[in-house]
Amino acid sequence: MSDPVSLTDHPVQEASATPPAPGRSRHLSDRWLTVAFISPALLLLLAMSVFPLLWALYLSFTDYSATRGGPATFVWFENFTAILTSAQVHMRAFTTLLYVVGAVTLQTVLGFSIAYLISRRVRGRGVLTTLFLVPMMLSPVVVGLFWRFMLDAQFGVINSMLGSIGLGQVEWLTKQNTALISLIVVDTWQWTPFIMLIALAGLTAVPKYLYEAASIDRASEWFRFRTITLPLVWPLLLIAVLFRAIEAFRLFDLVYILTSGGPGVSTETLSFHVYKVAFLGFNTGTASAYGILMVLIVIVLAQLYMRYLNKLKED
Amino acid sequence: MRYPRRIGQLAAAALLVATSLTACGGDDGANANAPKAPADIPELTKDPLTLSFIWFDWPPAKALEAFANAEYTKERSNVTIKVNVVPNANWHDAMFTQFAAHKTDFDIPILDSQHIGEAVTNGNILDITDFVKKNIDVNAYNPYLLAAYGQFPQAETGQRDENASLYGLPLLGDTWTMIYRKDLIGDTPPATWDEMIAAAQKCQTENPGVSGLAFHQANGSDAAAVTYNTVNGVYGGNLWDSKARKIEGVINDAAGQEAMDVLVNKMKPLTAAGSGNWFIDEVNAAVAQGKACIAFNWIAASGGLLDPEQSTLGKTRDEILGKLGFATLPKQKTDLVPLGGMGMHVSAYSSPEKQAEALNFMKWFEQADIQKKWAAAGGVPARTDALSSPEFLNAGPFNKVYADSVSRMRDMWNVPEYARLIDIENTNVNAALNGAKPPKDALNDIAKEQQAVLDSAGKKGGGGL
Repeated sequence: MSDPVSLTDHPVQEASATPPAPGRSRHLSDRWLTVAFISPALLLLLAMSVFPLLWALYLSFTDYSATRGGPATFVWFENFTAILTSAQVHMRAFTTLLYVVGAVTLQTVLGFSIAYLISRRVRGRGVLTTLFLVPMMLSPVVVGLFWRFMLDAQFGVINSMLGSIGLGQVEWLTKQNTALISLIVVDTWQWTPFIMLIALAGLTAVPKYLYEAASIDRASEWFRFRTITLPLVWPLLLIAVLFRAIEAFRLFDLVYILTSGGPGVSTETLSFHVYKVAFLGFNTGTASAYGILMVLIVIVLAQLYMRYLNKLKED
Repeated sequence: MRYPRRIGQLAAAALLVATSLTACGGDDGANANAPKAPADIPELTKDPLTLSFIWFDWPPAKALEAFANAEYTKERSNVTIKVNVVPNANWHDAMFTQFAAHKTDFDIPILDSQHIGEAVTNGNILDITDFVKKNIDVNAYNPYLLAAYGQFPQAETGQRDENASLYGLPLLGDTWTMIYRKDLIGDTPPATWDEMIAAAQKCQTENPGVSGLAFHQANGSDAAAVTYNTVNGVYGGNLWDSKARKIEGVINDAAGQEAMDVLVNKMKPLTAAGSGNWFIDEVNAAVAQGKACIAFNWIAASGGLLDPEQSTLGKTRDEILGKLGFATLPKQKTDLVPLGGMGMHVSAYSSPEKQAEALNFMKWFEQADIQKKWAAAGGVPARTDALSSPEFLNAGPFNKVYADSVSRMRDMWNVPEYARLIDIENTNVNAALNGAKPPKDALNDIAKEQQAVLDSAGKKGGGGL
């Protein structure tokens, strides 16, 4: 029988001296238990992400082709040099840049505007938010297919509507100047809700007392927006922009469904071009180098962006 | 925190070792040549077996599955035929990514004639030369059809090299047919390409809302490229000099330039706005909805045009046929037409029992009576006797067009670099058709880029850009 006094006097020491729970092996220490729990996820990560990345890195220095087979001969940096100096790649990079800037800018402006308007409503806010989120929940392939039908120059509903108000037919997907705009519009339709959701979270988190204090000082609506709302939501918005920019940079599905990169190659993005290099000619070595370069670009740009964000936070 | 760091270091080391071992192991079984099929069909299994095909999604794929399950199972009741389909644009990738993995979920890949070179060079399909010699009556075929769907290296147009190896047998013959509105341009189809353009122009002017022409222009698959190649052939051009492996200066010679000019400046203005991404289905839709005076499409995809449920041209098949006519392509400087259709091959990665069944299926399929039944079921046979049989000629109004076109066919390049060559041509022709590039520049770019692809064989680094 234990001594009640000693329990009260040294509660901590007593607790640590408690033997392991029945059924637990004496050899299974906390350290091993941690390893056992982490291992499955770690192995999965190594097998599905890290190994393919390292394998792609290895292949990027070779002339390996997945279909032609044979040994992979080292060509060192020749794949990288060829990609960086290729006019074809430069053209796709410019198209991708136009697309990323256009789509992310439009989505940010619209997303924030919608979030700002919703945040000012009291009734029906939940329903409105849910409705706005619907496009984001759809598969990009499904989105691409129904927009392809809607944008069809002959049978599409968009041209039909334009016709009913006396405007002429627009060749949305087959003209150089409209095809990229169509891609931006469709991506904006689908992903504006993402920006809206994050902006709405930021707007909801702005302390009410700041607005109350501003009201007491009879600050104008614009002044309150400029000095309270925007500075507090801005960092969160920038993170949303980062996510969207990375996503937009690797756009493939919408291009594949809507334009197949056309007319000609005028809407071919970098990802679409990598796909062609990898699966039309099965130039696996070149495609691996192309992919590695794209990852590097994203990492470098994201790092620069994060530094800016941290600086903003410190300020 | 010493322990997690050690775990990380161990994991990284293990990974590097694994990577190095795999890398040093290299490719296990890449063959420069296709493995040989036996001359005699090995003993067939009596156990239930599913024989899988891979094709793209279009009506003949459904027809084949229904036909084979109805007829082949009379002879082999333990076998089920499954025709797996993928979208046309993914057809090449779907087959060759599995070939790359050296493991296929299909036993009989249905390859486009131009895919054969790539598959043979990589050792993906069986060499069936000995099997054909022993089991197939090669004299029953037009030699060029047998060569186009099975021979590698590629045959000269219209010929077969009897010393060359065979890697496939014809499954479905095909070519383009001209579909014309008899009620709008008359019962007699235009005889020359110039007359066809003039008739389309007149029809478009007289019938507001109906475009003069409808044809393939999309930049996916081989759509726009086949259109250009057809006009190129008709105007006396050549795609390449196969012996010298020369494209630059051949495709873009005077005849080639004239063909591109006709296509972009005379034919394109007669098409519907926004038709720059049209392929098989869109052209059929335009015809079925009465929106085109003259259209060009593959014969094997034209069956739906006579279905009253899919057409606004009539409530019965006869009523539709009163308005639609089908004819061989008009001639101009030559009478060449594009070779379509596909052959069936045997995957080198199928199990031996499925390879045996595949060979047995091919032998069964190429019999005279089965070919006639295939014709009656909606297929386009390749045997000469089946092509001239009433079963085939009466099965569809466009079947005579095919029979009359056989001697006029020309194929593209059947080389391992085909996928890249066709992409270059597709994107450039599509760019020219949609105003993204001047036609002359587009043709010169095709010549330059395709020549670079042929010349880059063996080049180290940066291939495929």
